[in-house]
Amino acid sequence: MRYVASRLGYGLLLLLGVSILSFLLADLSPGDATAEMRLNPRISPGAVAALRVRYGLDRPLPVRYVRWLRSVASGELGWSVAFDAPVGPLLWRRAGNTLVLAVTAMILAWIVAVPAGVWAAARQGSWGDRLGLAASAVLLAVSELVLALLGLALAASTGLLPAGGMASLDYDALGGWGRARDLAAHLALPAVVLALSAFPVVHRHVRAAVAEALESPFVQAARGNGIPRRRLLWRHALPAAAKPLVSLLGLSIAGLLSGSVLVEVILSWPGLGPLLLQAILARDLHVVVGAILLSSVFLVLGNLVADLLLYWVDPRVRGT
Amino acid sequence: MPENRQPAEAVNPLEVRDLSVCYRGVHGEWAPVVEEIGFAIGPGEALGLLGESGCGKTTTALAIPGLLPANGRVVRGSVRLDGRELVGLSERQLEGVRGAGIGLVAQEPALALNPVIRVGEQVAEVVRVHRRLPWRRCREEAARALAEMGFADPGRIFASYPHQLSGGERQRVTIARALVCQPPVVIADEPTASLDTAVSVEILALLRDLVERHRLALLLISHDPRVLAAIAGRVVVMRAGRIVEQGPREEVFRQPRHPYTESLLRRLTPPTPTDGADPGSGEPLLLDVRGLRKTYTLRRPFGAKRAVDALAGVDLAVGASARLALVGRSGSGKSTLVRCLALLEEPDGGEIRLGGQDLVALPRRQRAAVRPGLQLVFQDPAAALNPRFSALDAVEEPMRLQKMEDRRQRALELMEQVGLPPALASRPVPRLSGGQKRRLLLARALATRPRVLFLDEPFTGLDLPLQTQIAALLLDLQASYRFALVLVSHDLDLAGSLAGEVAVLDGGRIVERAAPADLLRRPRHPASRELVDAARTLQGKMDGVVE
Repeated sequence: MRYVASRLGYGLLLLLGVSILSFLLADLSPGDATAEMRLNPRISPGAVAALRVRYGLDRPLPVRYVRWLRSVASGELGWSVAFDAPVGPLLWRRAGNTLVLAVTAMILAWIVAVPAGVWAAARQGSWGDRLGLAASAVLLAVSELVLALLGLALAASTGLLPAGGMASLDYDALGGWGRARDLAAHLALPAVVLALSAFPVVHRHVRAAVAEALESPFVQAARGNGIPRRRLLWRHALPAAAKPLVSLLGLSIAGLLSGSVLVEVILSWPGLGPLLLQAILARDLHVVVGAILLSSVFLVLGNLVADLLLYWVDPRVRGT
Repeated sequence: MPENRQPAEAVNPLEVRDLSVCYRGVHGEWAPVVEEIGFAIGPGEALGLLGESGCGKTTTALAIPGLLPANGRVVRGSVRLDGRELVGLSERQLEGVRGAGIGLVAQEPALALNPVIRVGEQVAEVVRVHRRLPWRRCREEAARALAEMGFADPGRIFASYPHQLSGGERQRVTIARALVCQPPVVIADEPTASLDTAVSVEILALLRDLVERHRLALLLISHDPRVLAAIAGRVVVMRAGRIVEQGPREEVFRQPRHPYTESLLRRLTPPTPTDGADPGSGEPLLLDVRGLRKTYTLRRPFGAKRAVDALAGVDLAVGASARLALVGRSGSGKSTLVRCLALLEEPDGGEIRLGGQDLVALPRRQRAAVRPGLQLVFQDPAAALNPRFSALDAVEEPMRLQKMEDRRQRALELMEQVGLPPALASRPVPRLSGGQKRRLLLARALATRPRVLFLDEPFTGLDLPLQTQIAALLLDLQASYRFALVLVSHDLDLAGSLAGEVAVLDGGRIVERAAPADLLRRPRHPASRELVDAARTLQGKMDGVVE
């Protein structure tokens, strides 16, 4: 467990570096949160200057950074100029929504892609395999944007699913079960779109890794002792092929928060995506930095989870 | 085909009749690999299948339990297990036969066990699959089978992963897996090819024991007549897919009727030094190694470090035209030593003087300039050659790196000298035979005109005729290119027949150095004695049969 602690330590250092870089880069780009007000003739220059003083925008960069660090320590994560509220609570709620969407999509993608990949590896070159490959190639080529728009059009024209948002207007009036159903209905479209875009990568990785493991001498040797095909696939080939898959899983955890930005914006899912877009347009620096930091946290966590999983999956890594 | 089922007493456990196997080539044509072979094995009998690499031995072993690759097919003949025809059974039916009716002992124990499953589970699962017992009972059966393999602590073995076991232990596990369901027939394809001599002798003794105790019908496949002599009662000799001779071991080994059999049985002929130079006496010193140390630190991601001394202070002097063999058990430090000497591995201490210059102290950049003079020929030619290269590319590559002139011309000459005709120059590496790849490796190593040529297990997996050819080739090359030859081997017989001198390694030190004949006659160090004993046991079996 000392290992985990040291990894987390490195993670903290990484976050510090990321935050400094984001501050520096944001400072290099012209304008700040008051830039648009200054163009507005109805707001006096004095009022703008007062605002700048109030939000501390007139102070030099290091001072602003240290102030921000202090507010991070208190859990506020800085102050959003656009919302006139601390960034922390703002981010938490949105990040929670994004996680609900992204985790659902990820589970969906893996639950379908792993069996499909194993199945394809066992029947390489068959029609089913070729069909799967073609489908994943198409999905790989079509961008999330098109998928999301397609989904939107479908939902709008059939009316089967709500075409956006996370809850119906009468959500608060619903009971526990009703709320769950309402959420599921809203979740379905963006989750499926996201899962579809994640599917081909997982499918192809699983197929390639299992196909390679099937060729290995130990699978052949097990076959020579009468281990049936199905067991060879699931008990012998898949665990032996787990290494690249675990790394892929780690990467996809790292991308959980950032992968869904586009889909969220188009399908108006109230996650980090729309917030981030708004914050960038409004030059709401602390919100942007906060979102970037959250993504970095997931990067660190994803890698850690992958390493721990690998430790659990592969006895050679345990090195006992 | 006669369909009369005979009573079990009269039927041999395994009967192969008129079996022919074809492989489909890259262009869709079918080529025969095994033609009209037939033999029978009775209960408690071990049949040896002898032949050079590529003669169809392994194909036979795969065809019997229906394990041919997708491009292989049994085109004719019959395989009967206790009277039951196996040819034409469905995959599902064959799954029931494999493991329960025919046990398979794999060639390469290091690769035959799943690295991520405890070995006990891998044995138990065979029981589970065939007998459908509850897991607890399966584990008991597996533990029983492992206990029979002569482990001191079968409990530890059961709970181990393959990487925690030695080569010999792994091979015992695969034998246990093959036998756990008590099949009447066991097929062992080169079960000792990757093990050192002492361990091979143990494994063969174990197999012989098991054949007697369980009245097994064993098909033992090897290119090495010494291995067959150790247990096989009868021997079948295969060549180019056909059986050229079969009969009782004594008959075949004493009076081989076929000249091919004779060539397989000849011992590796001790070569006569062509220039009459007596290695080691009065010739200039080329390589002078003093106190060479190398420690590996095994770092676990979640735990403590562990240090392993691979080399614990090696002193070694090699003359300019020496032929020195480094022998020792696996794990004695042989491979680490040559890798350090070839500058592929950084030693932790000591000196390597080449012509007076200490290479260990040299800065990295200058060391690169010395490296072409020290060439290592790797053990596995298939792994040491880039599969995307043609044969000529492989030889040209080092010259290209050294910016030498007339590369193409020289590469062709080198290939010619190692016995590869120019017609092979454009052939992709994967389409060369095992022997051709070895020759190609030699040509590549000689391309930079090395002063020392290191060979790591140059004879592993080669049959005797090929071993003899390669040994003779090495001597020829040494005479014309003038390099010092340092070879690593775990087979004392082979090493001794080529080398002028043998150094025995044990625990990362050189414990004895002597002429091969002297070492075989009077080994002084316990480690040497162990090697000599193992070699004697194996060769003695052979001699006992032949005399």
